[in-house]
Amino acid sequence: MAPILQIKDLQIDVKMDEEVLNVVKNINLEIGKREIYGIVGESGSGKSLTSLAIMGLLASPPLQVSKGEIFFEEDKDLLKLSSRELRKIRGNKISMIFQEPMSALDPLFTIEDQLMESLKFHTKLSKKEMKRACVKIIEKVGIPRPEQIMKEYPHQLSGGMRQRIMIAIAMLCNPKLLIADEPTTALDVTIQAQILDLMKELRDDFETSILMITHDLGVIAETCQRVAVMYAGEIVEETDVVSLFHRPKHPYTKGLLKSMVGDRSDALYSIPGKVPSVEQMPKGCRFVTRCPEAMDICEKVSPDDLEVADNHRCKCWLYQKEMANHV
Amino acid sequence: MSETLLKVEALEKFFPVKAGIFKRTKGYVKAVNDVSFEVKAKETLSLVGESGCGKSTLGRSILRILEPTGGKVLFNDKNILDYSKQDLRKMRRDMQLVFQDPYSSLNPRMTVRELVSEPLYTHFSISKMEADQRVDEILEKVGLPLEHSKRYPHQFSGGQRQRISIARALVLKPKLVVADEPVSALDVSIQAQILKLLVDLQEEFDLTYLFISHDLNVVKHISDRVGVMYLGKIMELADTEALYEEPLHPYTKALLSAVPTSDPLVKKERIILKGDVPSPTDPPSGCPFHQRCPLAEEKCQNVLPEFVQVRPKHWVACHLVEQ
Ligand SMILES: Nc1ncnc2c1ncn2[C@@H]1O[C@H](COP(=O)(O)OP(=O)(O)OP(=O)(O)O)[C@@H](O)[C@H]1O
Ligand SMILES: Nc1ncnc2c1ncn2[C@@H]1O[C@H](COP(=O)(O)OP(=O)(O)OP(=O)(O)O)[C@@H](O)[C@H]1O
Ligand SMILES: [Mg+2]
Ligand SMILES: [Mg+2]
Repeated sequence: MAPILQIKDLQIDVKMDEEVLNVVKNINLEIGKREIYGIVGESGSGKSLTSLAIMGLLASPPLQVSKGEIFFEEDKDLLKLSSRELRKIRGNKISMIFQEPMSALDPLFTIEDQLMESLKFHTKLSKKEMKRACVKIIEKVGIPRPEQIMKEYPHQLSGGMRQRIMIAIAMLCNPKLLIADEPTTALDVTIQAQILDLMKELRDDFETSILMITHDLGVIAETCQRVAVMYAGEIVEETDVVSLFHRPKHPYTKGLLKSMVGDRSDALYSIPGKVPSVEQMPKGCRFVTRCPEAMDICEKVSPDDLEVADNHRCKCWLYQKEMANHV
Repeated sequence: MSETLLKVEALEKFFPVKAGIFKRTKGYVKAVNDVSFEVKAKETLSLVGESGCGKSTLGRSILRILEPTGGKVLFNDKNILDYSKQDLRKMRRDMQLVFQDPYSSLNPRMTVRELVSEPLYTHFSISKMEADQRVDEILEKVGLPLEHSKRYPHQFSGGQRQRISIARALVLKPKLVVADEPVSALDVSIQAQILKLLVDLQEEFDLTYLFISHDLNVVKHISDRVGVMYLGKIMELADTEALYEEPLHPYTKALLSAVPTSDPLVKKERIILKGDVPSPTDPPSGCPFHQRCPLAEEKCQNVLPEFVQVRPKHWVACHLVEQ
């Protein structure tokens, strides 16, 4: 089946003073219809920038897409659309749950205004019908006293309530593609489970595809079919969810899984060292400074993104060498 | 026994709900409703509970970022609710808040260095050199590269911004830190680093933490004691181990059973709570949890259970728990 979204060789750069530095590179991925596709990676690895690029919302300058294509529904390259065409798609066919709710909600308008705004723009319902739809969606995201909440302003809600209002706004128009950037970080487990179910329901009812961006491997395990692991602006591994958890290839993925605090029975593990800053990106593999299995070549040359097993891509010299030996 | 640093007594924060053209008050959101507990010096007390149960409001009321509508907050035995604005400002040096939402708490027009040094200049007469040095130190500790200290908040990722916020609170080396979801936007690896940092700083500077979180895994790892909130009230409070190993309140049991799995092939048995969280403007009669409680009896519908000590160091508000 044709993918709903296809990203080809996406690259994002940032202009700092006189220099142009690279922040996101070589992003290739495909999201199928009704698929929930996950992106995981440490803080600062470029997850949000990638999703903002899809939405055409990168703050440029200083950020810019310097290379690549993003095809939506097969033929539309989102990067080539005019801002008017993009606005029509945004909030309608593609909608986004932003990482920081306060950045997406307008402090001067009531919750009702903000929900209605999105409906007014994209549907032809009567005012009464719209209002009913708003109350219904607020109930669905598990917020008590919806009628009253509609009249309140964002600062009167708790952190998790704001996050859920944003989820409600994003779901209101039954989008074809929902980009969810850390959608449940402010939510406790019970409500998180409810929201994840709601997303699956949206997928089942409207064939919505979901790009799930998260640092929480538990969320990935519970919802996604395929996963891309990002590190320092690149995808280092990409495969189905079961292979990722049970047959990880990349040393970084292995470290991430090890630091996952499933039951936290023992001390917290964290991958030693930290993500290199854009100014100090290694020349070869970007993970080389922290990799327990680094070899000489890793410092000098960046490995290729290769298919190392069926439907399993990995960008690491361990496998590239092995494969070269077989040839 | 170590001494008590903070004592909260019957604290209350009600927000008026206004309606109609004359904006008359027609009710209250009872966000924090008769909450009492103590925090000992150098301990970490965590508060957990579902979204909207009043955790942030409680944290902010304790620091008087929000004015409580009732009760007492004793810091070193003095009720800070009686303090003048001026006394309070001095006090703030010792009581800091890490905000839940870094995006709205960081001034977008200030660089990281300005943001982190501002509290130093406000509270101490300190030379620029000394301030710079302390800023460098703390940025290093929270894992932000020094070469980024000239950048503005929008130039960072979500998790990086959260670390700026932590640096800003800790640079003062306060006595009490109320940390409102300080690691929820962070990935596991950096989460572990920051938690470790919080623990190290606690040892180094004898800090006391009131740690607010919805993540039961994180809380388990760093707390001495844990309190569970529901609808503006504390339902259970105990040593961490006792709370996780032998929870007494049915609500705590349900919360613990909902912690997600760490394997796509494993599906976990959960206690699913029926119904929704009731509205804090109109809390149910009797026990606030009775409508969703799988064990509720008639008494629970009518009589508010008292928050009592049922075992050594273990408090609970539930009719069904025997003393
Ligand atoms: N406007 C900007 N100017 C310069 N650098 C930027 C800008 N925006 C983001 N960056 C940098 O780009 C990198 C990727 O940022 P991004 O927000 O995509 O990370 P992320 O993976 O979403 O992280 P998190 O999990 O913390 O949200 C970060 O190192 C960040 O500092
Ligand atoms: N300024 C305000 N005006 C009116 N109501 C408020 C205000 N601030 C908070 N509330 C209400 O008080 C209740 C508790 O909110 P609070 O922010 O303390 O929750 P929380 O436990 O921190 O939740 P979360 O985990 O989602 O952050 C909510 O019902 C909220 O709508
Ligand atoms: Mg992000
Ligand atoms: Mg909160």
